[in-house]
Amino acid sequence: MSGNLHQAGLRFLRQLGRHAEPIMDAYLSGSLADQALEPAVQERLVKDGILYRPEHGADLHLRRVVRALLEDALRDDRNRQINANTGSALVTFKTLAGHYKEARHQSDYAAADAYLADLKEHVYAFGETLSHSIRVLWSRINNEFGYVGTLNAKIRENELAQSQVSELLAGLEMISFEALADTAGDLRELRHLLVTNLQRSVSACSQELSIVQGRLLQLLGRFRQIRGRTRLLKGWLLHMDQQPDYQVGNHAGHQNVLQLFNLAAPSLAPAAADIHNALHEPELLALIMQLRSLPAQEHLTAAAGAATEFVLGAVDDFEIERNPAREAVSAYFCQVIESGQAVSALDYREQEQLPWDAENWLYQVIGGYDGLPDEQKRHFELDTIGEAHPLFSGNFIVRDVALWLA
Amino acid sequence: MLSMKGQVIEHLLKGDFICRTTDEDGWRFLKNPANREQLDDYLSTLNRKVATVGSGADSDVFFCGYCQLGEEQRKVISQQFRDICNGLTPLVAWLVLVQETGAQDAPLTEGSALRLNELQSIVEDTPAFREQLMRISHYRLFGSTSANVDGQIKQVFKRLCELGYLIRPNQDKQIYLGTGKLDYLYEVIRFIDETEGLALEERADIASQGSLL
Repeated sequence: MSGNLHQAGLRFLRQLGRHAEPIMDAYLSGSLADQALEPAVQERLVKDGILYRPEHGADLHLRRVVRALLEDALRDDRNRQINANTGSALVTFKTLAGHYKEARHQSDYAAADAYLADLKEHVYAFGETLSHSIRVLWSRINNEFGYVGTLNAKIRENELAQSQVSELLAGLEMISFEALADTAGDLRELRHLLVTNLQRSVSACSQELSIVQGRLLQLLGRFRQIRGRTRLLKGWLLHMDQQPDYQVGNHAGHQNVLQLFNLAAPSLAPAAADIHNALHEPELLALIMQLRSLPAQEHLTAAAGAATEFVLGAVDDFEIERNPAREAVSAYFCQVIESGQAVSALDYREQEQLPWDAENWLYQVIGGYDGLPDEQKRHFELDTIGEAHPLFSGNFIVRDVALWLA
Repeated sequence: MLSMKGQVIEHLLKGDFICRTTDEDGWRFLKNPANREQLDDYLSTLNRKVATVGSGADSDVFFCGYCQLGEEQRKVISQQFRDICNGLTPLVAWLVLVQETGAQDAPLTEGSALRLNELQSIVEDTPAFREQLMRISHYRLFGSTSANVDGQIKQVFKRLCELGYLIRPNQDKQIYLGTGKLDYLYEVIRFIDETEGLALEERADIASQGSLL
């Protein structure tokens, strides 16, 4: 019997391997067109229960078990099937436990062993299914339902996942360990299997499920927030389209201002340099260096800009004419410096018997004083001596000037 | 060099918004209630305190607010509120444009990345988006006078960076990140929606269903 099964199983798996490509095509696209396969192959696959035809004239589809096998093996996100049927599993446990107890009672140990192995298989499978369901839920949470495009679809997927979690939790609640303990009686193996083992896996799963539920709620909240924001934006634009002259009321002017609008004005201005801080000296010096170099550069560029056309030619001869009047003025200045006392210009003219007319001489002196460079000029003071005009006020008639050292 | 506390105070007093994207260290510092208390103590001498967008433990954006509101402060706040309201429509239009060009469900929020080049090529290829961008960029908030998409989009991004809604982490790349100020903007719209009873969400919902029918 088991040899037969073994052979049949191998044949089935080989069948799958040999037709892996059409099977994967069917898995990915959902169905397989009639023409895609040779009639003989198609018939064999249908007979072996790999493909089936849901209704007359429809395309070939993969059998649910094959699809589930692939989904599980490939950890496919699209797999959202969750088996929450705890009730039937519990009834199976009880039935098998009954068989086992009866066989032991009748001392049919071979049959009892077979029943126990069967029961073990079922209990382990139950735990496996639970943890698989949770894994599927986690994978959906972790990629945030990335297999559906729109936000609304994500929200629906989230709601589906939540209902599945509640179903799973409700199923776990149905497990009554007291009843299972009664069923197990005082048989050690049964107790170990039905009470200890099951309890361990169920408590781990229910703990994890509550975390999953929390995460799902959190995600749903986020999705709703995102959707709400999108709607707010669109709604605002719509509103402004409909009422272009809409003005928001001055909500910041109320007595109790919302924290949201309590926005302080920026109050930090850049600090000023402190020249008395010795620590800053190097930086300040560097800054000063930059300052100095700037005008020098400007000067250079300005000179370059002002350069005119340069023509090479014979140098024009010129001669500085000797001017006796200017020499006399210099002598007058020298006399003031030497004596250190104020001397009137007309007195000096008379003293030196200078040939120029009095008025000319005065103009020469004033011109000589004004012609001095600034740094020499500030050592002299030129006083005007004269009187106001008798008739026209504001006019001052200069009769003489006096030069003295400042 | 300034300590973390000093840096955070400086940012706050400059009127910056502190979120995870703009200043992660400062944000972590502010997330700690003990640190916030210290800052509040310090700022209270300047009649300031740390304010948050949203409330409670999930508040992720911090800024500087007044403790006591006198006549002067009220004036400042009112002016700021008016400024925000005036800028609301162009900003919202821009956010919707970004969302539509990316064909995304989620609008731009804190931390989401935006590639200028991608956005530009999509806008350039679609006349409707070009028109929208033109309208948006000519609002006074953005103040673009350019006639081509390139100039308009660059001006809009430049202004958004100046206003603190976007940052550009790497100056060599045209990749921008949304900041916490965007979250602030959403909160402002939500508040206006609620207090003025505009029912914006319902309206958008009805409009989108109408377009489906």
